Amino acid sequence: MNDAHPTHYDAVVVGAGISGALVAKQLAARGHHVLILEAGADRGEDAATYRSYHTNFQLTELKTPNSPYPPNPSAPSPSVLDITSIAAGKPDSNGYFVQRGPNPFGSNYTRVVGGTTMHWLGTCLRMQPVDFRIHSEFGRGVDWPLGYDDLAPYYERAEWEIGVAGDKAENEFHGIHFAPDYDYPMEPIPKSFSDRWFEQGVAGMKVRLNNGEDKVLAVSATPQGRNSTPRPGRHKVGGETAGPYGSAGNTGPFYAFQGQRCEGNSSCIPLCPVQAKYSALKTLQQARQQKGRVELRTQSVVSKVDTDPASGRVTGITYKRYEFSGAPVWEMKHVTAKVYVLATNAIENAKLALASDLCPSSGQLGRNLMDHPYVLTWGLAPRPVGAFRGPGSTASIPSLRDGRFRTDTAATRLELANWGWNFAANSPYSDVQRLVGRDNLFGAALRARLRDEVPRQVRIGIMPEQLPSSVNRVSIDPAWRDSLGEPRPVIDYSVDDYSRAGVLQALDVTRAVFARLGIEDRSVVDPSAPGYVTLAGRGFVYFGAGHNAGTHRIGLSPRDSVTNVDGRSWDHDNLWLVGCGAMPTIATSNPTLTMTALVLKAADSLQRELEGA
Amino acid sequence: MLMAEACPDDLLALSVALTGYDRASLWATGCVPLYLAQLADVAGPDLLARLETAGREHAAAVGADPDAADRQLRQRVLVDPDLGPLARSLIQLWYLGQWTPMPPEWVQRNGSKLRDTARILSSRAYREGLVWDTIGAHPMGAKAPGFGSWALPPAGETP
Repeated sequence: MNDAHPTHYDAVVVGAGISGALVAKQLAARGHHVLILEAGADRGEDAATYRSYHTNFQLTELKTPNSPYPPNPSAPSPSVLDITSIAAGKPDSNGYFVQRGPNPFGSNYTRVVGGTTMHWLGTCLRMQPVDFRIHSEFGRGVDWPLGYDDLAPYYERAEWEIGVAGDKAENEFHGIHFAPDYDYPMEPIPKSFSDRWFEQGVAGMKVRLNNGEDKVLAVSATPQGRNSTPRPGRHKVGGETAGPYGSAGNTGPFYAFQGQRCEGNSSCIPLCPVQAKYSALKTLQQARQQKGRVELRTQSVVSKVDTDPASGRVTGITYKRYEFSGAPVWEMKHVTAKVYVLATNAIENAKLALASDLCPSSGQLGRNLMDHPYVLTWGLAPRPVGAFRGPGSTASIPSLRDGRFRTDTAATRLELANWGWNFAANSPYSDVQRLVGRDNLFGAALRARLRDEVPRQVRIGIMPEQLPSSVNRVSIDPAWRDSLGEPRPVIDYSVDDYSRAGVLQALDVTRAVFARLGIEDRSVVDPSAPGYVTLAGRGFVYFGAGHNAGTHRIGLSPRDSVTNVDGRSWDHDNLWLVGCGAMPTIATSNPTLTMTALVLKAADSLQRELEGA
Repeated sequence: MLMAEACPDDLLALSVALTGYDRASLWATGCVPLYLAQLADVAGPDLLARLETAGREHAAAVGADPDAADRQLRQRVLVDPDLGPLARSLIQLWYLGQWTPMPPEWVQRNGSKLRDTARILSSRAYREGLVWDTIGAHPMGAKAPGFGSWALPPAGETP
């Protein structure tokens, strides 16, 4: 092979997103040599590229999560604009996914250096202790192979790796607790004016649910992977003393790359112009500062994980190196290592493992695909609340995240949005278009109407728990391939009655909140929308939340899980699968923080393996 | 260059009438040449001359009786099958930085034009959309108002 690069490493990591970057950083800190293979295009890390993302964002009419990131035919990403209704027996193959339905899978991800943390919002919620045992408690889903207290030290480390801004007191509900000598690395991001208007409005508000259970509503500030001000003092983080965050040797270009304090650009999704929001680019930079060598090889699409049929051990990784996006040819390459880590998102990890005939024992690989089917409800507040200011969401109503109702009805988180009807109706673009085109306004009257209406826009997002189901799955089919000849993910997906019941319950509650606060309901439910579903004659439209999870779950037994609790494959002794795919259930928290905690636990076990401990 | 033929003064007067923002605010966007060139390219010389006339007449009349001037603008421009769509696109251009293509009836009457496509004209045009000022916010992804500003009561418009 005519290749200047070494071909043997301590660890080969597939995917330069947050999971892969954290594994690389931790192993390199111990002096190990790590190769990261990334499918996305070159130069994802430099400032000029980041600036070009920002220009793309400004010039794109529909500012979808993937709008800043150039389409790459050699490593395609799904787009939310590809989603259509799926006719029975006729898969929707408009985009990268091949969707077999019956309901569309509405989420996406980004195949670039930095992965989907490039366009994530930054929400860093912990799961509630009860979420780890919903089968025992409610007879639903599965229990996790570990509990909240087992994961708590890793939650602490995860919050410090990401640099979470948060307030412990605001998040101590439904059993969530923090160690007394622990705190978030950064002071909280302030609640928006709109959040506090809701908070005052719902104070003391009691709702009776259909099962007779009463809930008192409250508003909680969301912990966020977003720079505020480092919290002074020292804290115990995963058993080690740390802090203040980011202060050690905090000079030079390396630390400059850790981003500015949030200055309210109001564009977290799809891109923070000043990198106040965490992205894996930060961890990748940190990984390169460690003792061990971390090599990032981009434009390298892993095609096959090779195994020894007798031992099951992975013997190497075969990947395709392409010269530029859409190049008609590519070179086959091969690398070997002591350990191998698949660290792409839940769908790509499953796709690659299936294409390599990995992990057959449990039959669970690719199954239990989950998301939060995200439902929007929106209206006009009776007073200006200052829409379109601040991070996309800074608070939520967690009151329905737990309750006895979970035997029959999904728990939900009610997310308070700060950007008016932007997601719901493409405001303020659609407002101008409507007032000019339909309502015949111009001049001072147009200006006054916009001034009156848009700052009053409010929106609540409903995120129901989706249970693991063997029929919701990623598979591959030789008939469907991308331009490199790699399989395209084939997706079977449905939103079951349990999740639908949770949405309907939450819609009743949001309606009561609107009534109490005098909010004029402007929500529109379009029965022809791809995400339109019904239960008991009531319909709503869901979207993807981008929270792809569950395709290679951790567990206690090779019979019903793909890996052990450390992400180590039951079938292949030197292979780890990490990422949101590891999650047995998705609960009502955005999955990245829990995923990160699991990645750090996996990284510990990788370290032990490499060091013979 | 088309700008030489277009008369910025009269078209600015028209823009002032259509947007409710004064000349200083419109010049301050830095987008006047870009927008008027876009308008001229789609409108063509004859329709552009009629828009200039409408702008000049509105400017002359608005001091004495603003309601009458606006009524006249509505009747002469906004309901006109040729001028109306141009005026509505011009409003949206100022407010959003984005050109809205002519409707099919307009294209049937006036022919299709090369630059009559939906697009954000430049990244500056995106940032300078008037709507952000109107709603007391800032363009998403630009002109950030500072840490914690979102916790304050909604700010006033630029005076």
